[in-house]
Amino acid sequence: MSVAVPSQPDERLVKPRLWDRLVVRPEIGALLGALLVFVFFSVVTGEFLSPLGVANWLDDASTLGIMAVAVALLMIGGEFDLSAGVMTASTALVTAIFATQVGLNVWFALILSLVFALAVGALNGWLVMRTGLPSFIVTLGTFLALQGLNLGVTRLVTGTVQVSGMRSTDGYESAGMLFASTVNIGGTDFQVSILWWIVFAAVAAWVLVRTRFGNWTFAVGGSSLSSRAVGVPVVRTKIMLFMTTAFAAWIVGSINILRNASVQANQGIGLEFQYIIAAVIGGCLLTGGFGSAVGAAIGALIFGMARQGIVYAQWNSDWFMLFLGIMLLAAVLVNNTFRRRAERVRR
Amino acid sequence: MTAEASTALLQMTGIVKTFPGVRALDGVDLTVRAGEVHCLLGQNGAGKSTLIKVLAGAHQPDEGEIRWQGEKTALSTPVAALRMGVATMYQELDLIPGLSVADNIFLGHERARWGFTKDRQARRQATALLKRLGHPEIPPDREVGDLSAAGQQLVSMARALAHDAKLIVMDEPTAALAADEVTNLFRVVADLTAEGVAVVYISHRLEEIREIGHRVTVLKDGRTVARDLGADTPTSELVALMSGKRVETVYPNREESTVDSSREILKVEKLGRDDEFADVNFTVHAGEILGIAGLVGAGRSEILETIFGARKADEGTVYVNGKKLKNGDVRSAVDAGVGLAPEERKSQALLMDMSVAQNVTLASMRSYSSFGFTDRAKELRDSRAKLEDLDLRPADPRRNVSTLSGGNQQKAVVARWLVHGCRVLLLDEPTRGVDVGARAELYRLIRELAADGVALVLVSSEMPEVLGLADRVLVLRDGRVIHEAPADELTEADVLDMVMEGSAA
Ligand SMILES: Nc1ncnc2c1ncn2[C@@H]1O[C@H](COP(=O)(O)OP(=O)(O)OP(=O)(O)O)[C@@H](O)[C@H]1O
Ligand SMILES: [Mg+2]
Repeated sequence: MSVAVPSQPDERLVKPRLWDRLVVRPEIGALLGALLVFVFFSVVTGEFLSPLGVANWLDDASTLGIMAVAVALLMIGGEFDLSAGVMTASTALVTAIFATQVGLNVWFALILSLVFALAVGALNGWLVMRTGLPSFIVTLGTFLALQGLNLGVTRLVTGTVQVSGMRSTDGYESAGMLFASTVNIGGTDFQVSILWWIVFAAVAAWVLVRTRFGNWTFAVGGSSLSSRAVGVPVVRTKIMLFMTTAFAAWIVGSINILRNASVQANQGIGLEFQYIIAAVIGGCLLTGGFGSAVGAAIGALIFGMARQGIVYAQWNSDWFMLFLGIMLLAAVLVNNTFRRRAERVRR
Repeated sequence: MTAEASTALLQMTGIVKTFPGVRALDGVDLTVRAGEVHCLLGQNGAGKSTLIKVLAGAHQPDEGEIRWQGEKTALSTPVAALRMGVATMYQELDLIPGLSVADNIFLGHERARWGFTKDRQARRQATALLKRLGHPEIPPDREVGDLSAAGQQLVSMARALAHDAKLIVMDEPTAALAADEVTNLFRVVADLTAEGVAVVYISHRLEEIREIGHRVTVLKDGRTVARDLGADTPTSELVALMSGKRVETVYPNREESTVDSSREILKVEKLGRDDEFADVNFTVHAGEILGIAGLVGAGRSEILETIFGARKADEGTVYVNGKKLKNGDVRSAVDAGVGLAPEERKSQALLMDMSVAQNVTLASMRSYSSFGFTDRAKELRDSRAKLEDLDLRPADPRRNVSTLSGGNQQKAVVARWLVHGCRVLLLDEPTRGVDVGARAELYRLIRELAADGVALVLVSSEMPEVLGLADRVLVLRDGRVIHEAPADELTEADVLDMVMEGSAA
């Protein structure tokens, strides 16, 4: 076998054109969708583009966005967390109960609540890895358990299904500065949660592309067997991802409790699917190994714009779900088409 | 023996590994010295991949002892094996499609400080590694899912090289490679051994073992049947050791042509797909085997998939028995009696979590079901017969396909179309990963099909296979047919020249 090595570069392996590389970015569908929704509501309603309008839909998108970004990381890692929605209520309840019923300083209550959240996240991850069951099932279990705990413990402690009275607790003001204050820009108050959303998305995007942990996240979602074989700590990575989701739920829970000063025990139920939807609009695949944190943040932005836009347009909010369904299908179709096209080009 | 023990880099003795229902390894010994290419031979299912997974820390042995540089060790995890200095290119475990080339190469041993990856350094080193493999043009920041099969194989090679290992295990690394890439790989292997690195090399192509091997260990049914043979051991002896029987000639000789040139079965007219191939015309008669030669990536698989309807043609038509097939419609092709055994068995052909029997009868479900109920007994009976023909081991049709060895999975794909009974059979690399004995059997079956009047199209990277089996050969380069001739008028060298240079001799 004396075959010469071909001297010219192998055309099978050379770079595709810039455009083809752009359109396979996972967030392309979400980006187009966000533009579309933005232009649409800017045209049909006047208030949508007013400073107050913008502040409103950004605020709506922010808490959803923080969760969607974390859920996107988890989905890239190949797992789901159905308990994420209830967790936002659980963390708020833990903080509120320790602050109002036990009388702890709010800061201290927040730390206990964080420990609780991380423990639940770790438990989720550990159960999934230990049992080998799909995370869909395992976290459905924690979802139900937390839902029960939220109601049961709240009623036991307060005799009602809500915890209130945060305003009179120690540290409420200072903690509120961090989680629930507003920033005045040009005469309009913007919620600080918007800032947290942007920071969280930026950090997550950074972690995904620039750190070892980010590589591992893609790897365990792409193929956990192959990852294990090359030495990726699969169990640790997945547990960390579940803990990240729980951490995000703690941020969102803290924002809620410090802003409203009270929390309902049945809050958060059903939100878990909104997080997953936002992540999928943002380009995450349900099968794992592919997706983007920025995409998920944009997915949440679409949610916020649509939800508030429908209010400004004075439509019945019943239409929101229809709108959402169409958005979801359209974004996924766009992502899919572009990926296919790119695949064809490269073959 | 003691002298060898002291110089041996790796010594595995009495390794036993059982899976539910199978004793995959039943007392295997393997001794590897530094700086040698040690070939591991054995039939499909002999336990080669299982042995190297034990060595890589991916499987825990039930019994046996592993010594590394004379010291007894336990390899409890893949990381332990990597730390010790064993890097592995697996036969089946793939790369991570969503990660870039550089990220894949350094996955698990990232160039990082405080958890932050040093991307520029990783990219530079990745390019250096790929350059060593003869492919500096593969962009290190490209997603691996975007690369061709050959490109991915190169990346997984680069990954093994990146580890600075003392022992590199290669499980059928050339199965998906074209001739020029094989040459590159061999050059790299020679460099490595010159530096004192040991290589454990698994392949079913005996000529490769002659070219780069130093010593040979033969496995059969999970046992070591011969160790430390020279690489110049005669083929007949190796085959006899592997299979326990003699295989005289690999290609059955053509006593008389089975081609019935009065009956055109498959006719392809001006077939083309943008950016893939163009203006492909050919006819296959009843009883004829048409071989397609060309490099990996020349468009061979694409043509077969387009005929089968798995890809939509942009131009041209396919006729079977004079009837036009619906463009891009697999159902219409299967109804017309066309079968395709694709190249990527795992993703394109097999339902990994179903039994062998169910996989084998998948295409012919109609003949196994009445009123929506499946006749499981008949399904088992028929598939068992074909499995025995192909020597698939273990010949138990109720096993899960995912537990079969690589070569045996390939046989299951071929068996499917044998059971189905087609008029046109498209075979894409039918012997990839199939051992020598079974290969001869497969060739005989292909000939028999032709004798029964089936029209066959055979794509293979192995020139002798195309020339030895086909009646007529098309030579393909960059998606275009550059030459067509009866197989006995072509030599291997001619065809290689044509596919490399494009100069039709
Ligand atoms: N995970 C598993 N579960 C059950 N059986 C298995 C498993 N892995 C391998 N086996 C069985 O162990 C035996 C040895 O398989 P192995 O993959 O080591 O063969 P091989 O020598 O590599 O063959 P090939 O040349 O086809 O790759 C086979 O009978 C196979 O079916
Ligand atoms: Mg194998």
